[in-house]
Amino acid sequence: METPRWRVAADPETVERDLSRLVLTLVELVRQLVERQCVRRMEQGSLTDEQIEVLGVTLMRLEEAMTDLCARFELTPQDLNLDLGPLGTLLPAD
Amino acid sequence: MTDAGSGSGEGFAEGEGFAVGGNFAEGEGFAAGEGEGTYLYAVARDPLPAPAGVAGAPVRTIAHAGLVAYVSTVPLERFGEEPLRRLLEDMDWLAETARAHHLVVDTVAALTTTAPVRLVTVYADDAQVADLLERRENDFLRLLEHVTGRREWGVKAYAVQPAEQEHPQQSAEAHAGRPGTAYLQRRRTSLRGREQARRQALQRADHIHRALAAVAAAGLRHRAQDPRLSGRDAPMLLNGAYLVDQERDAEFADLVATFGGDGVELRMTGPWAPYSFTVMEAT
Repeated sequence: METPRWRVAADPETVERDLSRLVLTLVELVRQLVERQCVRRMEQGSLTDEQIEVLGVTLMRLEEAMTDLCARFELTPQDLNLDLGPLGTLLPAD
Repeated sequence: MTDAGSGSGEGFAEGEGFAVGGNFAEGEGFAAGEGEGTYLYAVARDPLPAPAGVAGAPVRTIAHAGLVAYVSTVPLERFGEEPLRRLLEDMDWLAETARAHHLVVDTVAALTTTAPVRLVTVYADDAQVADLLERRENDFLRLLEHVTGRREWGVKAYAVQPAEQEHPQQSAEAHAGRPGTAYLQRRRTSLRGREQARRQALQRADHIHRALAAVAAAGLRHRAQDPRLSGRDAPMLLNGAYLVDQERDAEFADLVATFGGDGVELRMTGPWAPYSFTVMEAT
């Protein structure tokens, strides 16, 4: 049978990559939550144009940084998407 | 009867459970790993010839209380409770067993009204099966009455990617010189669009199910399958089973055909023996 995808093996060869994947997953989750919160507040009109612009640029840069980091560790966006079984996946499927 | 493209694997998909524990509800007192057991395929009202069953064993009938059980003898060293738990993890064994099981069920179901029994239902001996027929006689007769002249069809609906509705060019122009704002606007469109598409798709699945169930004698929704099981990337919105009067088959198929398109893809399978409508909980 298939081995569980989400096991951090204590093998020195892979431990760095596995831990990077775990950390990047958490960062990506937080980034997406913040992004959604920004979109919500933008819709509610509780942000000034200036704040929207600053937040947008920050989130955009963060996304670019995530893409670079994923490439460096040879990870794809799917690799960051924890499978929570009956709860679905951690991040929305794009 | 069933097309080759949707063989036995499809059979599980139509929803017979795999709850081994449940299948053994009747099995008090059968010695694990010793001797032989009686594997039950289906219950009908007439004895008819059937092809070989699981593990190649010949299929016999047990007539009792006006009912006929289709069974074969299986070795408990493989079909006892413990060995089965292990074997059920073996996909090759499972596929082969399911194929044999469905072949027997489908052959009988093609000739007479049949109540299929869940995959891998094993009793201690023939006497226990006869006892089941006697105790549940009325339940079986009512069930057979319910499925007489009707067949099961499966209808699955998938959410396929709707045509891209964004106009990134325009939004970029609208926010020229403000890349952050343009970025958030793009994200907003994408998030809202996806959410809305999802909501609409689920509503459509409800609507499709209600419409199909209205034409069918009975309809139920199985849990939507995970993409890894369905073998499709598109999320499944509806995994329905419908018991349809044979003379309304064409009407049902026509109705199914009207619902496809516009972000939803439908797939109809069958006809199946009425697996989804003959589950009796053993007590």
